[in-house]
Amino acid sequence: MNEPQKKPRLKWLAVFWADLKASTDPALLGVARFLGLLYGPIDRTVSIDQAARKALGRRLPAFVGWRHALGGITYMLFIVLVVTGVLLSFYYRPSVQEAYPSIQYVVSEVPLGWLVRDLHVWSANLIVIAIMAHMARVFFAGTYKPPRETNWLAGLLLLLVVLAFGGTGYLLPWDQWAYWTTTEVLDTISRAPVLGVFASVLQGDAVVSGATLSRFFAWHVIILPWIAFALLLLHFSLLRKHGIAPPPGETREAGDGVPFFPNHLLKAFIVGVLVLAVAISLAALFPRPVGDPADPFTLPSALVSSWIVVDVSLALIRYLGVWGFWLFTLLGMSMALLPLFDRRPERRLRRRPIVLALGTLFFFGFLVAWLAGRQLRSLPPSTQLRPGEMIERFVPEQESAEAPQNEPDAEAEGGEEEQP
Amino acid sequence: MRVGKWILASGIILAAVMAGAPALAQQRDFTIDPDYSCVACHTEKRRAFLLGTHSERGIRCHDCHGGVPQAFEQATAHAGADYIGTPGKLETVRLCASCHSDPDQMRRYGLPVGQLAEYRTSRHGHLLLEGGDLNAPTCTDCHDAHTILPPNDARSNVYPTNIAATCEDCHEDAALMGGYGLDTGQIETHRASAHGVALYVENNFAAPTCVSCHGSHAALPPAVSQIADVCGQCHVQVRRAFYSGAHGDAALAGTIPGCTACHSNHGTERVAPDQIAATCTECHEADSPAALIGVEIAEQVTRATQDLHSSEEAIHELIRAGRRVADVKLRHQTALTVYLQISQAQHSLDLEVLEDLSRQVGSIATDIRAAEEVAAEHRWEHGLTLIPVWFLALSAIVLAWFKLRALRKEEL
Repeated sequence: MNEPQKKPRLKWLAVFWADLKASTDPALLGVARFLGLLYGPIDRTVSIDQAARKALGRRLPAFVGWRHALGGITYMLFIVLVVTGVLLSFYYRPSVQEAYPSIQYVVSEVPLGWLVRDLHVWSANLIVIAIMAHMARVFFAGTYKPPRETNWLAGLLLLLVVLAFGGTGYLLPWDQWAYWTTTEVLDTISRAPVLGVFASVLQGDAVVSGATLSRFFAWHVIILPWIAFALLLLHFSLLRKHGIAPPPGETREAGDGVPFFPNHLLKAFIVGVLVLAVAISLAALFPRPVGDPADPFTLPSALVSSWIVVDVSLALIRYLGVWGFWLFTLLGMSMALLPLFDRRPERRLRRRPIVLALGTLFFFGFLVAWLAGRQLRSLPPSTQLRPGEMIERFVPEQESAEAPQNEPDAEAEGGEEEQP
Repeated sequence: MRVGKWILASGIILAAVMAGAPALAQQRDFTIDPDYSCVACHTEKRRAFLLGTHSERGIRCHDCHGGVPQAFEQATAHAGADYIGTPGKLETVRLCASCHSDPDQMRRYGLPVGQLAEYRTSRHGHLLLEGGDLNAPTCTDCHDAHTILPPNDARSNVYPTNIAATCEDCHEDAALMGGYGLDTGQIETHRASAHGVALYVENNFAAPTCVSCHGSHAALPPAVSQIADVCGQCHVQVRRAFYSGAHGDAALAGTIPGCTACHSNHGTERVAPDQIAATCTECHEADSPAALIGVEIAEQVTRATQDLHSSEEAIHELIRAGRRVADVKLRHQTALTVYLQISQAQHSLDLEVLEDLSRQVGSIATDIRAAEEVAAEHRWEHGLTLIPVWFLALSAIVLAWFKLRALRKEEL
């Protein structure tokens, strides 16, 4: 019974489309001609049509497979973050009085606001995983070697930008967890020799305050996006220039593989839809809880982290101390300099033991620190000291030889003893 | 005109300087007076004395100790009819009282003059003044001999957080207290009590110290019939409820030791809701009508406590779900106020009042829990959106997959 009902409807659509194409309606033709008039001169000058056809029609090397999707996933998550971020910015207000209520409004009043916000939070987490996986593939496959060393550095800078995005965005909900985590991390950074100055400039006040919130917001939505777009342009341009690196021992010429459109784009579509569905599922099932409103005078009972990098940082700070945190950061930074030293064309992993050790230490360390950080829900021990303990720990004891001379009270008490 | 302005300006400056001069003069002089001989030998006493409040008032050594401060030889300096050297305990009382019981001298400082009169009524005063017992404390035992400071000075021995340590000097000395048939350990018990925690941990200076219940100069343990009144100085509503019930009559008659019958004295133990019934059976027989009232009170208080906790948890969940909780928190505040009334009203043993109050707490808690349930339902609905999301995603993936396979076949 359904078949005969469906057919006329589809037929009606087909008829409509055919009519539209065959139409000689002057108004319709006028609109089409007007659009053509607009587009024609532009296309003749910039040749968009040709460029688009060329870009879509180029053929990718045959060795390009699913493992090359990691960079694409990262880019897609970046787009998700931009879109959800713009949507959030319609409602978010970066001030001490309004930040927290505006998040409450987004989560509980705005239609699908909860989804946009939690998709933003989860994409910020997934992008770190995607970047790490993308980096690990490039690192272990040795594709950072010349001529692609500049692109490796651009990628590392993009990682820093993503970390800065997350770090600045973390404070914006202005709840207790955001406030005190930012306080602890800024405190750690401020103890480093040069970055310490940077941290205090970024903080803008003696404590994390409205000044910090404004600065973080400006970085998050104005400064960092421009840097990110510039770096992405560089990253993609260099990728187009040098092409995707062939795996070691690959002899096939680039260009004899599959066309970019529609074959590769369909693959990217499948991966993209899957990642987006996973991100939406995580957002719906595990929403980022809202903490109590930020209060500089009250410590929260626990810190609940909602970003992988915060887990990693807190685990490093708590278990290895401030210097452990900086040593691990140095290890990460040493990877940035690797292409300067490791310029041999050798790309087989067995012949690169130092790189293998370094990479394993970093990526495995990151994973371990993340898992350890998930277990941390506490405040730093230094914030939980009672005044007595603090005096005992931080105030040096007086030297006993000088004590009697400096204590007139002891003499006064001695006077009492003389009484009968 | 210009000259007039200058004269006016000079006048203002001069007036300002003259107004400031007494303030400058009042600053403590730490330089040694070369004509005052006491400090030539007793330097450490001078140092201690300069820290105290008496040195600010221009009082000097010879005002209390007598002697000849102009003489620079010990024999001459320690001479004279009024020389008393180090005063004994009784002489100390006399010396201090000579000024502190004189309204004319104390008026300018706004100080009371009843300390000696109070001291005479105290156990300490009885022992020293009537019994001549030199173990009993005199003024300087609590206030120090030279560094005498007002009670609101944090360095003072009688500052709220220091006073327990001052009493402790004697009252934790088991050998000394044994002679008077007194136990020790009260101060440690007080430190661990709700009052002690409020004072020492939470820095709540409204919390009572030793002298708040026992009196300072008139230090005595309150009589059995006075206990509820002593506690009632702060716990006003509890006192009112207590005296409106049967226990109040018993306390007035001296049959039960007031509040301490259930809460103890220095420990001020809180009777938890699940211990109320057991506490009643310490005096009343189990299954007696009085004990059954205790069971009923325990039930009401327990129910209200649980309701309060559940509404707190519901608020916490609402906050985590990003709901605005200002209204809910106000309602919870109302429930807390009613709960406070329950904790007071239970002392009246009036079950009707208790039941009514407990019902009010329950009603507010039910409302707050209902708001939380609505939020939980919304969370559940959020999960349902995954059905269309995954349906669309999987359909798109399957279609793309088929298209990809068809394209591959074409390529081949």
